[in-house]
Amino acid sequence: MKVHKTGIALAVLALVASGCRGGDDEGGSSAIDAPGVTDEPCENAVNEDNGCIYLGTISDLSAGPFAALGGPITEAQAAFWQRVNEDGGIGGYDVDVTSYVKDNLYNPETHATLYAEIEPDVLALAQTLGSPTTLAILEKMKSQNVIGAPASWTSLWGFEDNILESGSSYCVEAMNAIDYLQEQGGVETVMAIGFPGDYGGDGAAGAEIAAEAIGAEFVDFVETAPGQEAQSAAISAVVSQAPDVVVLGVGPTETAVIVGQAAARGYTGRFVGLSPTWNPALLQSEAAPALEALFTHAGPWGSFGTETDGHAAMREALPDVDPNDGYTSGWAWSYPLKAALEAWLDGDYAKTREGLVEAVNELESVDFEGMLPEEAGDRTGDNDIFTQSVISEVDPAAPAGLTTVQDFTAGPTASAHEFTGACFEG
Amino acid sequence: MTQFLEALVRGLGIGSVYALLALGFVIIYKATRVISFAQPAFMLTGAVVTSYLTPALGVVLFTGFSFFLSVAGAALVTAVLALVIERVAVRPMVGKAVFVVAIITLGIDIAVRVVVTGYIGIGSRPIGFPWGIDTVELLGLSVQIRHLVMMGTVVVVGLALLVFFQRTPFGLAMRAAAFDQEAAMTQGISVGAVFATSWALAGALAAIAGSLLATGAGVDRQLWIIALIALPAIILGGLDSLQGAVVGGLAVGVVEQLVGTYQRDYLPWLGDNVASVAPYALMLLVLLVRPYGLFGTPEVRRV
Amino acid sequence: MSTPTIEKSEPSPKDDAKTSRLWGRPAFFQSYEQELALFNTWPKRAGVALVVLVAFFMPFSLPDATLRSLALAFVLAIAALGLNLVTGLCGQVSLGHAFFMGIGAYTAAALSGDSDPEARTIGFGLQEIWIWLPAAGLVAALFGVIVAPIATRLRGLYLAIVTLGLVFLGEHVFREWQRLTGGAGVGRSAADPVLFGYDLRSPAPDGAFTSDQQMYFLMLVLLLVFALAARNIARSKVGRSFAAVRDRDMAAEMMGIDLPRTKTLAFALSSFYAGCAGALLFTITDYVEPGSFNLLLSVQIIAMVLIGGAGTVGGTIAGAIFIGMLPTLVRDIAPSIRFEVWGRVLEFSELPSEVPNIFQVEQILYGLLIVLFLLFEPRGLFGIWVRTRTYWKSWPFSY
Repeated sequence: MKVHKTGIALAVLALVASGCRGGDDEGGSSAIDAPGVTDEPCENAVNEDNGCIYLGTISDLSAGPFAALGGPITEAQAAFWQRVNEDGGIGGYDVDVTSYVKDNLYNPETHATLYAEIEPDVLALAQTLGSPTTLAILEKMKSQNVIGAPASWTSLWGFEDNILESGSSYCVEAMNAIDYLQEQGGVETVMAIGFPGDYGGDGAAGAEIAAEAIGAEFVDFVETAPGQEAQSAAISAVVSQAPDVVVLGVGPTETAVIVGQAAARGYTGRFVGLSPTWNPALLQSEAAPALEALFTHAGPWGSFGTETDGHAAMREALPDVDPNDGYTSGWAWSYPLKAALEAWLDGDYAKTREGLVEAVNELESVDFEGMLPEEAGDRTGDNDIFTQSVISEVDPAAPAGLTTVQDFTAGPTASAHEFTGACFEG
Repeated sequence: MTQFLEALVRGLGIGSVYALLALGFVIIYKATRVISFAQPAFMLTGAVVTSYLTPALGVVLFTGFSFFLSVAGAALVTAVLALVIERVAVRPMVGKAVFVVAIITLGIDIAVRVVVTGYIGIGSRPIGFPWGIDTVELLGLSVQIRHLVMMGTVVVVGLALLVFFQRTPFGLAMRAAAFDQEAAMTQGISVGAVFATSWALAGALAAIAGSLLATGAGVDRQLWIIALIALPAIILGGLDSLQGAVVGGLAVGVVEQLVGTYQRDYLPWLGDNVASVAPYALMLLVLLVRPYGLFGTPEVRRV
Repeated sequence: MSTPTIEKSEPSPKDDAKTSRLWGRPAFFQSYEQELALFNTWPKRAGVALVVLVAFFMPFSLPDATLRSLALAFVLAIAALGLNLVTGLCGQVSLGHAFFMGIGAYTAAALSGDSDPEARTIGFGLQEIWIWLPAAGLVAALFGVIVAPIATRLRGLYLAIVTLGLVFLGEHVFREWQRLTGGAGVGRSAADPVLFGYDLRSPAPDGAFTSDQQMYFLMLVLLLVFALAARNIARSKVGRSFAAVRDRDMAAEMMGIDLPRTKTLAFALSSFYAGCAGALLFTITDYVEPGSFNLLLSVQIIAMVLIGGAGTVGGTIAGAIFIGMLPTLVRDIAPSIRFEVWGRVLEFSELPSEVPNIFQVEQILYGLLIVLFLLFEPRGLFGIWVRTRTYWKSWPFSY
């Protein structure tokens, strides 16, 4: 019992010394009455006369399973907003996305704690990586009128007003890919392999809907876990049931293992990988020949080397990086937030977080500089699910190893399907 | 039948890697009575070092040869790292509570793993295994060459360890120290050297295991998780038995692959992903019958 | 049992000891009863009172985010107290605590969940905390009793790894049982902290308290209750038999302590604590994902007990708060770490793509701080306290 005294008392002293309640008030004299917006310039301001809008980032940056994606996304977003600032900022403000960058380790509780830490100091979230992590803060975001750009493509975000998603969901990607392969030459059996839940489960749900729509048989959804040696059940299922198409909702390593080993054991059908399955490093892996022969990529937008103004601007802003679609995604996800901030500051909205949420929900189009069609940013309709996606194939010559074979298209399944809730919820 | 035998061969291949990892755990346990949770970090270190060495050596050597030389090099580097860590962070804790030391190794694991992960970069690194995931026909079965290499490695390493422990003076010293530390010290055996050697050996074994595992799809950030599969293997075989570690590792590999191949057809109600937890279920079953594993020494207790 | 009246009528040695106690050497026990008392010396009583007082005033001076972290640390402390019963007191090292916390979390979430049969996850609509909290503890305790027969057969590291297996098997079931848990990557909302119809998670209607303040008070009060109970268990007959089993189980058996029964009881009690802590842990974020109940959580709790040291209630709580606040602490100090090499100041990059960057440093620091702490103070925070206390106790002859 005695440790109470020193142990806790010391902690108490340290804590009392470290912070004081109510000391985190903003300047207050600003024309804008929202946390995270100041009249003082940003710390490393491009435009010294501008005020500063702080945006938070909660990503997977060191030891979590998606750190290989979180790093590039975060870096691309820093470059994106740097470019915005160099163009003069938005409505008299520079945007700072580097002061509040936090590492969630892909853990929902950590994510929620970090959100509580930075929420009083930021206007919105430039990135909230992961679905379970974002779900852990979603209720708070709603009650505090915080908007955020996600770093995941689960179909749930289409139904959340505070999440500023870009591009199609895993569910839609899978539908469009199956429609595409059906056009290319007949699909009779479809299988899905993936991590359960928000990602693999979402893609599998889309695959099942599409299979039904084209009259093919949906054989099975094999749930699998991360790890090279955890794929034996999935590989066995592919080899023994030999479906025409296998939709993959796993990570890049698992993709290499499943495609490589299934091909080694004689499978000759087609694999469709959802966006996070691909990584250019796969071309150096042992599975490269199998991937080149059997793999089709279904993505929400064109790969790193695609020729649009947005892609070109990104490549210019990130001259020295190894091409990777983490950068592409971080860059593309930033456009709606930029459009929302512009609309909020220029338009007739209350200059509060509530006003920003209102501005977001009245966005009719977003200028993605060609990375995505403008209507992808339409958030006014009751059913603003974006149903166009891009199909790519493996091309060792392309910067990130993928070239587009079918540009933005909404297949018949996705166009006809009525989305009433997240696909993975069934 | 073909399916069954192929699964069996795959299981023995993967199981060989588990056996290498399990040997590392057991060697440390026998010498110091501690379970080192730093093995995952050593495994990742070995794989990453190999992935850097292979292309560097490939310039001057045949591809096949350079891979195996790199694995040996990685084993050496990792052994040195393990030696340093043992000397700095584990030796001062001799005689302290076992679980305090275990938690220390866990802290080391976190720190080393984060540093090493930094060198993997975005995505995964190819390991430069000369045969990739190619298969050969063997007695009518299609077998991956890498699984054969894994089995071959465990045989070679196992024999080398056998010779070391049974035929060399220092091996004898290590066995003596494992049997009774104080008695060994009175015979002039340097127990400190025994501790250091056990850590170096375990580091080298983990490095080889990591490099072999990465032959499937390269080195990625999550590779280390596989080291946790070796935990049921060591309990299965008995914490203080080297042959137990090998048998346990092979058993875990085979069970994992067989469950992965057949569970969805025969026991679908267990849900998906059962293969990854099957080793733990096997461990619980074995312990119900034999509380000290298959080959472990029952502890003799006196009041 | 039948003698309380007699005891009162006679001037007992206990009263004697109390009234005639000398001042000056406060930490010495002057009677057996005193040694067994809840707070056996007056400095202890005063110290605990002071700490509790300060803890109750903290919400008025600290920002909400810190209160949140502290509330989480308090819940983890409840879990650690449970583990301390079985590990610190009874000597059975269990790595399976996360499993029991998961059982508690899902029992509570299911009880308090939406009772609409159409809902995605099971629910019974019983939102009152005094219903779901004990229920979560009891169900977890039941699982503790079920597991105990295996556990009582094993010792030391065998037991540790077998209980680790429990965590892996449990995590598998949680991931697969979608009706209960929502499934991996999706999750479900956790139990609602409703006390007599008042939801503590929504801010007070008149704005007097924020939800973080209310949750802090809830967790503080519950921690005090659980800590008091743990202290009382430790000084009861049961607690003494636990300690006997820890010190030498065979000797304990010779003294007539029923080993399987005692160990089963220890597992049940510890699981009860774990279940309650699991139920509470996720009410703060109102979201629980099956992947949370993994090895890392178990290890965290073990680290709390070890860093606290020596199986005392106070030490365990201090250890829990240390480990619970360590990530926050590390995040605060990592940016200010810099090295000077040959006159050049090296700072860690804030760009995640550069190596080494500040996020890696955070993780490395987290690992190393635990290592350094245990390396220099293997007896944990308790060791530091004992040395400080001895210094002052023997002053001016301290060395």
